[in-house]
Amino acid sequence: MLKVLIPTIMLFPTIWLTSPKWLWTTTTAHSLLIASISLMWFKWTSETGWTSSNTYLATDPLSTPLLVLTCWLLPLMILASQNHINPEPISRQRLYITLLASLQTFLIMAFGATEIIMFYIMFEATLIPTLIIITRWGNQTERLNAGTYFLFYTLAGSLPLLVALLLLQQSTGTLSMLVLQYSQPLQLNSWGHMIWWAACLIAFLVKMPLYGVHLWLPKAHVEAPVAGSMVLAAVLLKLGGYGMMRMMVMLDPLSKELAYPFIILALWGIIMTGSICLRQTDLKSLIAYSSVSHMGLVAGGILIQTPWGFSGAIILMIAHGLVSSALFCLANTAYERTHSRTMILARGLQIIFPLTAVWWFIANLANLALPPLPNLMGELMIITTLFNWSPWTILLTGLGTLITAGYSLYMFLMSQRGPTPNHITGLQPFHTREHLLMTLHLIPVILLVTKPELMWGWCY
Amino acid sequence: MRFLFFVDACFFFFFCCSVMATYKEASLATRPKTLDPAEYFNLSPEYRRAEEKRAALRAQLKRQYLQQLNNPHRKELIEDPALTRWTYARTNNNYFRPTAKTSLIGGLFGVLPLFVLYVVFKSDRDKREAKIKAGTYERPYKLST
Repeated sequence: MLKVLIPTIMLFPTIWLTSPKWLWTTTTAHSLLIASISLMWFKWTSETGWTSSNTYLATDPLSTPLLVLTCWLLPLMILASQNHINPEPISRQRLYITLLASLQTFLIMAFGATEIIMFYIMFEATLIPTLIIITRWGNQTERLNAGTYFLFYTLAGSLPLLVALLLLQQSTGTLSMLVLQYSQPLQLNSWGHMIWWAACLIAFLVKMPLYGVHLWLPKAHVEAPVAGSMVLAAVLLKLGGYGMMRMMVMLDPLSKELAYPFIILALWGIIMTGSICLRQTDLKSLIAYSSVSHMGLVAGGILIQTPWGFSGAIILMIAHGLVSSALFCLANTAYERTHSRTMILARGLQIIFPLTAVWWFIANLANLALPPLPNLMGELMIITTLFNWSPWTILLTGLGTLITAGYSLYMFLMSQRGPTPNHITGLQPFHTREHLLMTLHLIPVILLVTKPELMWGWCY
Repeated sequence: MRFLFFVDACFFFFFCCSVMATYKEASLATRPKTLDPAEYFNLSPEYRRAEEKRAALRAQLKRQYLQQLNNPHRKELIEDPALTRWTYARTNNNYFRPTAKTSLIGGLFGVLPLFVLYVVFKSDRDKREAKIKAGTYERPYKLST
């Protein structure tokens, strides 16, 4: 674990000591090296146990895919930000990359944590760099509102979690995940225990986000700069899912009764947010609401606590992370050229950017869960296990899949097909950097079709 | 002071005159129907004057747009104020007001389904649980979920 953490911490001297001419090259190369080293985590010693552990950090098949996704995403974020950060003074550029690298460090420690308190502290710590990125480098005045919503929704959800964790420490004497999975199941039978149950999960449900508490997400995603949107969509939402999967171990048997409202909110949220997607005029807002929709499916899969549900949840989290980040990169390319996120403004792009139309096509197909991509794998596993849980859910999930296909097609047709407005025919051609960015996003998605065992977690 | 006012008035008058008197449509452009000399025999002079003014304004806007469109040094987007207004109206929910109808729709689609779904799922699961407890539940699928 330290093999990756120490190089990530050494990113800070790299950022501040490199000469300005080589700043972006060295940071991208350094983070790519870290990403390739992180692939060693895939060598599990056993299918279910913890690997590469020291006292505080360890990886297991649940956290490994998310860790590798995090490490993979940093070079992509740096690649994506090159253009819009370029006009700024050097120290501010260094500060921006420092924020991204510190986010990376916190995320690695969060996903690798074995003590739940450490996970909680890192969970909270990731809020700070993201808040700074959104409120300082966002493009519209609404970014202040977005930062406030983002910070206070997540904080309000996680304060009860802190209390719940301290109570758990008090009653079981330990908060190490390695130990808690073998401890005696807790006797949970009173109102106080029910509130404790809710307190454990609310923070992660807000982060995921669950449909009722999702208001921070469209604001934060839309107002953030591209690297902020990428990291939010790809990794920070998955912190919520990961936290829920870890906490569920201790929350039986209350979960059988108490999970109903949240499962229902998640499922109904798929349909509601999917329908909102069809009425969006802002491209990034559409992608943000589609994130809520997919995460609703993940939340449903986790709350049911079945093996397929967990597997489907992790697969969908990884696949959605890569694809959603790819879509935000594409939306950013349109934004950098037209300085507007309105969809009907930048339409008919297929004629002027033909290769980019291919990336749009693949990203949208992945978003609507086309076989054989892992998006479908995850969605299908979750839908199947939900059907087994209660056959009536197929109405909601089936309709949700239909609406997902609808808005993905809408996004593609709106941005690529149709008449190109006359005044945008003179846009800058696509840079190699942007093509590289899209390739690096979509190649892992396609490669994961061939080896999905990497993503299945310990429930297969 | 009064002299300057007079000068301003002269400019304004000339501006109006130049709008009105020297406006000529492009040689290949079609004239609006109401300005076609063969068609407007039953229109009042005020109406004709108003139509001339509107045609002049349209031509000015079109000229401004074409100037921007064909400017070889233009790097940015041509701003369309109608589009800005439209996106602002669509994205900011300033036009939502809680009335009886909107509250009914909100309750019907946002609150009622949650309770309906709770009843549906709970009763279905409880029936299954009772069957399992009684030992009569047949598993329809061989799923390891």
